[in-house]
Amino acid sequence: MQQSVLLSQLATSHKLSEEPWPEDATLYQPYEVEQILLPENASCLAVKAYLKMCNLPFDIRTCSNAEHMSPGGRMTKLPFIRAGAFIFAEFEPIVNFVEQKDMAIGNLQDEDEKADMRTYVSLVENIFTMAELYISFKNERVYKEVTAPRNGSVYPWPMNHMQNYGKRRNALRLLKVYQWDDLNIDNVIEKVAKCCETLEYKLKESPDTPFFYGDQPCELDAIAFGHLFSILTTTLPNMALAQTVQKFKHLVDFCRFIDEKYFQTRCLP
Amino acid sequence: MPQSKQRGGAASAASKDSKYDLGKISARVDRVNVSGLLRTHNDYVMRAADGLFKADNFQDLMLEAMSTKSYLHELGIFKDVSVHIDVSRGADASPQGYEITFKGNEYSRLMGSAGTEVGQNEGSLRTELTIPNILGRGESISLQGSYSNTRANDLQLKFWKPFFHTRFRENRPEFSFSIFRQTDRFDISSFQSTNLGYLIDFSAHSSLGVDLTHSLQYENSIRNVGLLNKSVPFSIREHCGPKLASLVRYSVVFDNRDANVFATRGILLKSTNEYCGLGGNIAYTSSTAHGEVNVPLFSGYVAQFCGRVGIVKETKQTTLLPIGSLFYCGGPMTLRGFKYGGAGPVVDGTPIGAQTYWCTGAHLWAPLPFAGVFKSLASNFRMHFFYNIGNTNSFSFENMRTAFGMGLAFKFADRARIELNYCIPVRRQATDKILNGFQFGIGYEFI
Repeated sequence: MQQSVLLSQLATSHKLSEEPWPEDATLYQPYEVEQILLPENASCLAVKAYLKMCNLPFDIRTCSNAEHMSPGGRMTKLPFIRAGAFIFAEFEPIVNFVEQKDMAIGNLQDEDEKADMRTYVSLVENIFTMAELYISFKNERVYKEVTAPRNGSVYPWPMNHMQNYGKRRNALRLLKVYQWDDLNIDNVIEKVAKCCETLEYKLKESPDTPFFYGDQPCELDAIAFGHLFSILTTTLPNMALAQTVQKFKHLVDFCRFIDEKYFQTRCLP
Repeated sequence: MPQSKQRGGAASAASKDSKYDLGKISARVDRVNVSGLLRTHNDYVMRAADGLFKADNFQDLMLEAMSTKSYLHELGIFKDVSVHIDVSRGADASPQGYEITFKGNEYSRLMGSAGTEVGQNEGSLRTELTIPNILGRGESISLQGSYSNTRANDLQLKFWKPFFHTRFRENRPEFSFSIFRQTDRFDISSFQSTNLGYLIDFSAHSSLGVDLTHSLQYENSIRNVGLLNKSVPFSIREHCGPKLASLVRYSVVFDNRDANVFATRGILLKSTNEYCGLGGNIAYTSSTAHGEVNVPLFSGYVAQFCGRVGIVKETKQTTLLPIGSLFYCGGPMTLRGFKYGGAGPVVDGTPIGAQTYWCTGAHLWAPLPFAGVFKSLASNFRMHFFYNIGNTNSFSFENMRTAFGMGLAFKFADRARIELNYCIPVRRQATDKILNGFQFGIGYEFI
């Protein structure tokens, strides 16, 4: 059984590398204005930034049941991308998929640097996603005023309450798995601040270029932008996360630069 | 009438020439007793005696007593009922007077049962826990769970109350409320649907010219569509996620066949209409009709013609039909000689349900050869030759599917039929999944 799984993975990756990037690649995500939650928005933005950095064309489709359509994932299950017959969900699988097509950015680095970069990516993804989940589901005010109404907005009564309950239970379970459930808000801010500090330090290593590694964007740029920008631009009843990130001027400048270059939303002050 | 007893003066009251003609023995019911009512309210059985007091000869009295007995059974309070008929005694007894006593034995407080059940093309294991007659007027609560060989499962908590004791006794009105959780697996399309909700049902008979059984239901449920494997066409994946359905369903049945399974004469007509979209976010209308005509021929041979048609349509509120409400055509219940759901539209190699379908069947039923030898056993078996025609998403005869064959059918518990057929598909579409050879079918509503 194990062998057949590996074999099928091999066959898949073989098939993947042969076909070019499909014209009709589509990214699926929840409704941005009324539905999407902070952690989901961050991961969707990270994937979009990555695909734009790779200069790959893709359509965006918003649908209320995007999360249920997703083949599943480690954290938010979102976004997922449909490329030909293949469907991948979340940042890392999508990045791996693009890399198999040899269209990825950041190919210039050597193996060590790549491993180093991967570590940062995973750090950023874990810390920020957990912090975002924490603020969205564990902070009572944020949950009541933002998370629950938004998540339930696409369901008729009384299904919205049942869906909210299920979503919160899953989020709390995830927090428990990563041992974030018994932290208080100060611990969370401390963790986020530490992560930001590390990132800012990394960014300062190449002061003459706007990116983390050299003059080309890479995965780390995409995921860091996705999370930082989402945190900075999302208005919540508790702005502790945004205030923490704002203390790191270099990171804010970095977000402004990426936004200007790839998205032009200009919603950062 | 094994449980009725005739004692005392009944025989002596008969005159000599009409000794055995009970219809000529006059009789009058003086008194009717129903005993054994421990938890049941008296008014619930009041109407039991209505017919008895009208009897004026002994034959009528006996017949009325039997129908009263079966009526008492239908009230759903007694495990068994016995009838005692005696001459009435006492000061105010009339000369031809009788006194009738029904001795009932009430159901226990809690009843459990476990067993197998036959569904459409599936067998299931079922357990049930019932608290009968809670409030003393036939109200009951039951908890039912079932698990079928297709891994569909079902859990249901049901409360029902019959109104057989009211003046609408003839109409058999019954009300029920149930909460259910039900998982249906559509393996052929790689998805499953989990429904969680409640159902309010009101059913009654009407006998204005023809006898009809009506049922009006309101269902409110959350239908969650999930996938069963990874490589599922996107058009099925799109349906994933929970949705709220709020629908009314009206079904009416006309049945004058002489038996449920191997009918020799009579007609069955059945129609179900659904309107979904009273709130919630699923909207569609669905209608299905099923008909069966049996014509007796000679020496036990019966010709049978069946037909079924189904249409599901969008309403103004939506354009997307729920995938779980589509129709699957093919399989031993509909088009023999095709795999279950194998005669329908296909998306990326995966069959999905159709918006409309029709299928018809013509059968020639024959008793087994040498059926006279093992009469009781052979009466449970029949041979049949069949010809099935059907199609999906089209009401024309072009591109239709046909199959014929013969097989052996077995009557199971007077309700279900088990078939083993040799099928030969004749006309098919390129994408159809056929089954040329032996096919096994189990169910209660065949074409």
